Amino acid sequence: MAEHAILIVEDDSTVRELLKYRLNKKYDVATAANGEEALEQIEQKTPHLIISDIMMPKMDGFALQKKLQDDKNTRVIPFIFLTARADEPTRRQGARTGVDDYITKPFDMEQLLNRIERLLERMQVFQTQLDAEIGRDFSNRLLPKSMPEVDGYRIFFHSEAREQGGGDLFDWTQVDDGTYFITIGDVMGKGIRAKFYAFSFLSYVRATLHTLLQESTSPAQIMSRINEMLLTDEVLEDTFASFLILNWDPADHTVTYANAGHCRPVLITPDGASVAEHSDLILGLEAEATFRDETIDLAPGHALMAYTDGLLEHPVDGTEVLGEQGILEIAEPTLDTDTPIDALLDAALERGDDAFHDDVLVYWMQREA
Amino acid sequence: MGFTVESLSPTTVVIRMGEALDFRNADEFKSTFQSEIENGSVNFILDFSDTAVLDSTGLGSIFSLYRQISPDDGQVAFADVSRPVQVVVQLTRTYKVFRQFPTVDAAQEALS
Repeated sequence: MAEHAILIVEDDSTVRELLKYRLNKKYDVATAANGEEALEQIEQKTPHLIISDIMMPKMDGFALQKKLQDDKNTRVIPFIFLTARADEPTRRQGARTGVDDYITKPFDMEQLLNRIERLLERMQVFQTQLDAEIGRDFSNRLLPKSMPEVDGYRIFFHSEAREQGGGDLFDWTQVDDGTYFITIGDVMGKGIRAKFYAFSFLSYVRATLHTLLQESTSPAQIMSRINEMLLTDEVLEDTFASFLILNWDPADHTVTYANAGHCRPVLITPDGASVAEHSDLILGLEAEATFRDETIDLAPGHALMAYTDGLLEHPVDGTEVLGEQGILEIAEPTLDTDTPIDALLDAALERGDDAFHDDVLVYWMQREA
Repeated sequence: MGFTVESLSPTTVVIRMGEALDFRNADEFKSTFQSEIENGSVNFILDFSDTAVLDSTGLGSIFSLYRQISPDDGQVAFADVSRPVQVVVQLTRTYKVFRQFPTVDAAQEALS
């Protein structure tokens, strides 16, 4: 956790220095001798908490607190008043104006430290909850509400987001020619920042896909455009993503795909599981990167599975990861199960750690026999 | 734990990547290479001999480095790549962009 910044506002230099000396051990401390100086300090750097005397020259504690209350950016900063025992009437006034706490001088240092700690802790808890809530919200928006339903095919999907997970994304759309576009990606980074970028990225991809599909249904061409966008768009600058685009034609029983550095999809047949070999460079790195379409024929009973790196990097035996080979081995028996993804994930958890640490996303489709 | 930087020439540096480059220290790596770029370095040899962990955030920070120095004809080379790093490089096809060398010396020779 980052060091909290505390601003001490006190005209008595002895008290000010004493407070600074004690708080410096744990916090990043700034000081001001009156309300005006305090406002200047706050302008420079917003503290996490303010401790202020009431009676001061130039601008007193009440005026300072009022000013902070009037500004939405400073209203929420926890505020502790230091009051002299003689100021009982002003103390009551202090209680009325909505300060978080007040401590009577001469104060007990341990008590003050205790209250500071509690107020900061409360802020921290609130922040963590907010982050988790936003993270969950992004995760939900990055996931589909339904799956394609096509006669002669079984389709399964699973996604499990971790708070500390990254920016997994999935989307599908049906095209006028009766084919489907399925996109799976992973935006690099961890936590809420990655989820935010994944969300912005997905919005862009949806729009691009919609426009491009008027002229081309080549996943490779769409990939090139998305790559260009990542390299030129200022908001998405420094965003890198692995991406897999599938164009599935249920009438022809083919899947044409382009792969930009994403986990390679797996073809599962009664004879075994194999990797869809071809893949190109990850997106966002090189403007001249080229992408190629590859087509897979889906024979009756065959299945195709795509996933993100939370599965690939699932720890096995402490030092190893599940890896492509491990995934091939556990994918093969899924062909004959009623709930193939459950079978796959159970097998992964059985081989390695008993819980996933990262986001895990799996898409599994099978042509019925 | 910081990153050790060794200057081989006014424009070329070696950065020892240590045991891990991941979401915990990617920002530290960024500020490390940032100050080298400000000092005029354009060629970066990343020594991965001891690296057991390279996650997507870590890889992303290497991409940021590449995007900054490639307009100046700079290069990012990987030296003595450990197996876990090799797996990530294969998966993302980044060997197309980052040249790999068995040793730091071999990388230095190729870049000079």
